[in-house]
This record gives sequence, C-alpha cells and structure tokens, in this order.
Amino acid sequence: MSLEDNFNFEDFRRVAKKKLPAPIFHYIDGGSDDEVTLKRNTDSFSKCDLVPNILASVGEPDLSTKVLGSKIDMPLFLSPVAMQRLFHHEGDKASARAAEKFGTFYSMSTMATSSIEEIANTASGPKMFQIYIHKTQGLTDNLIDRCKSSGFNAMCLTVDTIVAGNRERDHKWGFTTPPKLTLKSLMSFATHPMWTINYLTHEKFQLPNVSQFVKKSSSIAKGVMEYINEQYDPAMSWKDAEYCIKRWGGPFALKGVMSVEDAKRAIDIGASAIMLSNHGGRQLDGSRAPFDQLEKIVDAVGGKIEIIVDGGIRRGTHVLKALSLGATACSFGKGFLFALSAGGQKGVEIMLQRMKEELRRDMILLGKKNIGDLSKENLAFRD
Amino acid sequence: MSLKNCHNFSDFRKLAKRKLPSPIFHYIDGAADDEVTYARNTSAFDDVDLVPNVLRGVENVDLSTTIFGKKLDLPFYLAPTALQRLFHYDGERAVGKAAQKFNTMFGVSALATVSVEEISSMINTPKMFQFYFHKDRGLNTSCLERAKAAKFDVMALTVDTITGGNRERDLRTGFTSPPKLTLASLFSFATKPMWGINYLTKGKFELPHIQDHLEAGTSTNTSIGNYFSTMLDQSMNWKDAEKLCAQWGGHFALKGVMSVEDAKRAVDIGCTGIMVSNHGGRQLDGSRSPFDQLAEIVDAVGDKLDVICEGGIHRGTHMLKALSLGAKACSGGRLYLYALAAAGQAGVERALGQYKAELERDMKLMGCTKISELSRKNLRFRK
Repeated sequence: MSLEDNFNFEDFRRVAKKKLPAPIFHYIDGGSDDEVTLKRNTDSFSKCDLVPNILASVGEPDLSTKVLGSKIDMPLFLSPVAMQRLFHHEGDKASARAAEKFGTFYSMSTMATSSIEEIANTASGPKMFQIYIHKTQGLTDNLIDRCKSSGFNAMCLTVDTIVAGNRERDHKWGFTTPPKLTLKSLMSFATHPMWTINYLTHEKFQLPNVSQFVKKSSSIAKGVMEYINEQYDPAMSWKDAEYCIKRWGGPFALKGVMSVEDAKRAIDIGASAIMLSNHGGRQLDGSRAPFDQLEKIVDAVGGKIEIIVDGGIRRGTHVLKALSLGATACSFGKGFLFALSAGGQKGVEIMLQRMKEELRRDMILLGKKNIGDLSKENLAFRD
Repeated sequence: MSLKNCHNFSDFRKLAKRKLPSPIFHYIDGAADDEVTYARNTSAFDDVDLVPNVLRGVENVDLSTTIFGKKLDLPFYLAPTALQRLFHYDGERAVGKAAQKFNTMFGVSALATVSVEEISSMINTPKMFQFYFHKDRGLNTSCLERAKAAKFDVMALTVDTITGGNRERDLRTGFTSPPKLTLASLFSFATKPMWGINYLTKGKFELPHIQDHLEAGTSTNTSIGNYFSTMLDQSMNWKDAEKLCAQWGGHFALKGVMSVEDAKRAVDIGCTGIMVSNHGGRQLDGSRSPFDQLAEIVDAVGDKLDVICEGGIHRGTHMLKALSLGAKACSGGRLYLYALAAAGQAGVERALGQYKAELERDMKLMGCTKISELSRKNLRFRK
C-alpha cells in the first residue's frame, strides 16, 4: 500500500499503528483516564449540521486567513507536539517542511527533538514556539530570546499541563523517553524492526531546547510525565504569563484556555489569541470539548482576541463548523502525527493536501467563497 | 438468499451486495467522508415518535397525493439516479415499468443509461427529468428540448453537486463508469460472473443524454466525482436557474435545497417544488439531514410550492413522519436501487409493494384514511 492510498485520518492511524512500536503508538493515540474527553473532542462536531447555500456561484474559494500576525493559506495549522523524532526519524524537520509547503503554521514544542535554531534554518514558513514556564527562570527567558533571534513568528504558553495527566495506556506499555526496554515493550520493538533501525541509526534522540539545563545527574531518560512534574512550575500564575507576553513582544497565545472568565483575563494581560484546548483529551478527563465551549467563548470575547480551536479535528467539515461558529483558525496534533509516523514529511504533506482538498470542496458545496463568509447562519444545532 | 426472502430495505441491500461486484455495490452504498450525514439521514426519523388515534373506522386507506399537478397513487416516488444499467442490465427500463405499475413518478437522471425518448414510449405515467447545469450550453439546451419533446412532466435542477463529494469508498475500489478493471476490482468482478455476463451481453453501456456532447478525448470512462467537477458549471447562479425555469415553462424544481433562505428564493424564481435533500449524504458530509430541516422549510414555503423530503427513507413510517411534518411527498434513490440490483423489475415491484403495504398498515394504525389527515398532531419530538 502506498502512502497515496491514505485518504483520511483513520487510514493514517491504521498505518501508524502498524509501523510504530506499541508504547509509542499508544502514547500518541491515548488520552487520560477513560478517554471520555478524547472521544468527545471529535464527537462534539456531530451535534450540529452544516446548512449549505445553493446557486452561489462560488468559483474558486479562497482558504486563506490571518492568525497570530501571519497570513496562512489554509485555516488549519500544526499544533505543537513534543518528541516528534520518536514517531518518525525525520521528526520536527518533516512537519516544519510540510507546513511550509502548505503555507501554514508549524508549531514547535519546548520538548522538540530539534533545536529552535535548526528549525529556523530548515523552514521559512510561519513558526510558533510553544513554551512552558520552567522552575528555572533562566530557562524560560533563554527560550524566548532564542525564538526571537531565530525569527519565530508567534509564541504560545501551555497552561493546561500544571501536572501530568493520567495516561493509563502509557502506564500499561511502559512508555518513557527515550524508549526504555521493558519485557512488555521489548516484543513490540522487536516486531517493528524498521522503526527501531531508523531510530537507532539516525541522529541521537535528544531534547536540544532544554538539554543544557538538565542537571548532569538527572538523566533525560526519565519519563516525560516525570519531567513535567519536576520541571514545570506548578505555581505558574497570570503574572508569569504576562511576563512572557511582555518579554516576547509579538503575537502570543494562551494554549489550553477553556473558561469564559479566563478568556477575558487573557485579553487583559495582552494575549493576542487563545487556543481553546484540553490538550487533546490528555490531561483532565471529563473536561469540556473545545467545540462544545466555542460558542460561549465567542459570545464573550469574539472580535477582541483570536480564538483557535485545538482538539478533535479530523475533517475539513470540522474546521468549517468551528469557523462558522466564530473561530479564527483551527489546529491539530494527532491529525498530522499519524501521518508523520506513517511517512515522515511526505506523510504530513499528503494529510495536509487531503485537508486542503476537503476544505476547498466543502466550501464550494457550502456555497462560500471566503473564510470570512462563514457564519452561524450555516449551522443548525440538533438540540 | 433470494428475492422471496427480501422483506425490507436492509434485506434488499444484502441481496444486492451478494449480486454486485464490490466497486458497484459501494458506489450505491457509500457516501461522503465519514458518512455521518448518510447515517443521520435515517436516524433523524428516530428523534420523533408517531402518536396514533384510535376508533376511527379505517378500512379504506387512500395513499394518493398530488405533486407538480399530477396525482400519484403513492405519497412517494423514485428519485432520479444515474447509471442504472450498471446495477441491473435492464436499468431504467425496469424501474420505469415498476413505477408505472404503481402509478407513481419516475425520476430520470441526466446520466441515465436509457434515453428519455425510449422511456417516454415505454410508460405513460408521470415522469421527471433531472438536469445538471453543464458548462456546455448546447448540451443543456439539448437535454431540455429532448425532455420536453418526450413529454416529461417535471424538470428538476440538481443544485448540490457543484463539485464532486469525497466518496472514499469509490477511491478505494477504483469505481469508474463504465467499470474499468483494476487489479483490485478484477477479483470482485470475477467472483460475480452473472453480473459480468449480463453487463457484457445485454446491450452496450451508454449515457444517451450526454455522450454526444463529451469533448473529443473525454471518454465516458470517468468517475462521477470527476464528471461533476469537470463538466458541470461551477459558476451556476440564481439567474441561470431562473432562466432554465422559464425556458422549461412547466413544473420546475430545485433538488438539494437545505436553507430556508434558498427555499424562499426558489419560490421567487418560479419553482413549483423543491427537494429537501443532501444527495443521500454523498456530497457534503456533516450537512443537515432533510428530515431535521423539514419543519423550518415547510413553515417558510410549504404553502407556496411542493416540498419533497428526500433522503434516508427506509420505511413507510419514515414517510408518514415526513408527511405529518408537512412534506407533500417523499422520494429516495437507494429506496429502490438495492431492489433493482437484487432482481431488476421484479425486485423494484416487490420493494414498492412492500412500501405500499407498510404505508397502508401504518395509516390504519395511525387512524388516518387520507394523506391529508396527517398533521403535526401525530408527532411528538423526544428532545
């Protein structure tokens, strides 16, 4: 089966499952606790339906939109995701190059497996850096300053990972980074030899953005969860967020805002955007889906701050529903990660191509020429 | 399994699956993207329950209804569908004769495999011609004139196929028309020899309404999605529809209207009917189901033109629910296509007979003897 035979998210997920050692597949695929929120993130899009307009003489629709100070060619971009080299040996470089090709944002995680500078030299498209507030102030400042001098276009602060979520699939499979061989995972690595060979023969696995700050004594071979619990500052407050916004001085998003109250506060401290997100259902299970919460947020802060819907997006129609309700743009993580796992840069490009084709087709079928033409008039809720 | 074991929609579907090569079965059975809308088209009927009246003296039930100025013996008709000779070698001949037997309307597609002239000489019951707006204006005029000369009663302009839907089952099976043998489909054709023998021996596969207008070099060997995307005029607008309506000069309907606003406009340009339809879930996935949208449309324009509910209908009770909400009639494609594939004319007649029996039985159980006695008083929404 060739990569081109993958038509959608589910296809890529299936290939990724075949290609990846089980602990790694389940690290991507899993959510927290019972994965109720993970499932709802996508299901929530089915509670309303699109109502097309006919005979609208649309011609060729324009999919471009402006978000976080940059014009992007399609209203969907890549969310920041940690440790991409675990999923494919090309890692972040693959996603960054694919995003550049499609004229949309690539986002880099603090826990990326390439460095800020490396990515800046690799891809010239719009780039966002995702930052965590670390206990060591110097580390946070250092990251912000490096992004600035490397020409990153936007920054986001993740605010929903104060502690690590309870990802039970990771407990079950013994997921650590770099991967540690347990008896249980050994079988899986042995039965996916191509992944293992690629992993071992390409550049060494590291977290270059933070490696210099990790104490010699503590090995990076701690689980990510342990890293989050030890390095991220649970005392992070609105003041810290405001500090980052000031120090950065450019387009800035708070990633993981869910309440109306917090959305309003994000405006007050000078954020330019919020990413409505529950971290892909990987943190607080039972928390609200971004699309379920969108209308309330738009009613409260729409027009005053950009709203990005992050979570559960699998189809062009999901994006169009979010935009119709008032979102500025959407982003996805799993949506491109399975494609990355399946085929590196080529895989991500095919996935983005599919999404772009869907968006174009669905705009035509909806009878809309520009993203700005979408409105609540296009939606009917089932109630 | 044989025809005498087919008692409902899903039985016919099973038999059709056994008889048809898989690319052809999935062309009928499939829909767009994740087929969410396709599933909703039918499940929407479950959100409302029928409330019967008792002791009403119902020994004689009259199922007749009048649409487009024609009295039909049944409150539903056979929606136009393309390529019927692919499903059974008798194709439109079988369906037309069955429709005549039950005195209901037969919808003939622009992509029919039997000509309007032949159908007209074969049956004298009401006939609808379904029209696509092609880039080639000569082709448009030819279609209109031929249908007029053949004394068709109604012209329906399809407005929801501005571009082809994303039918992923067709992408996987490599469905084209006429069927092309790929390695993947070869096996399926080889295992259904009767279909293959009939297809090859019962007359050449043709598209008599459009084939003289295909550009040199364009073969009829194309996918339907590709036909929509390349041959139809994407700039089609309300002016074009109004002109066609006037040019036709008789009963004229728009097929695929979903929004109230568009329904009102259909009245303004002189339409005498609309089909509330999302093309059987085959175009824009995530779009609203006809039954979900029906009440709004009926409230807005029900007294000004004939509103027809098309999509997801598998049972007599589905029709009664739609008629109670205010639809003038129902129609469906898969409604008779599986039966056609299963057993040609005898299959379609058996299916129509069953729907008729269901309608009669259910009308009696509802305590109604005439379609006009159905009203919203017979319905309760669950919410």
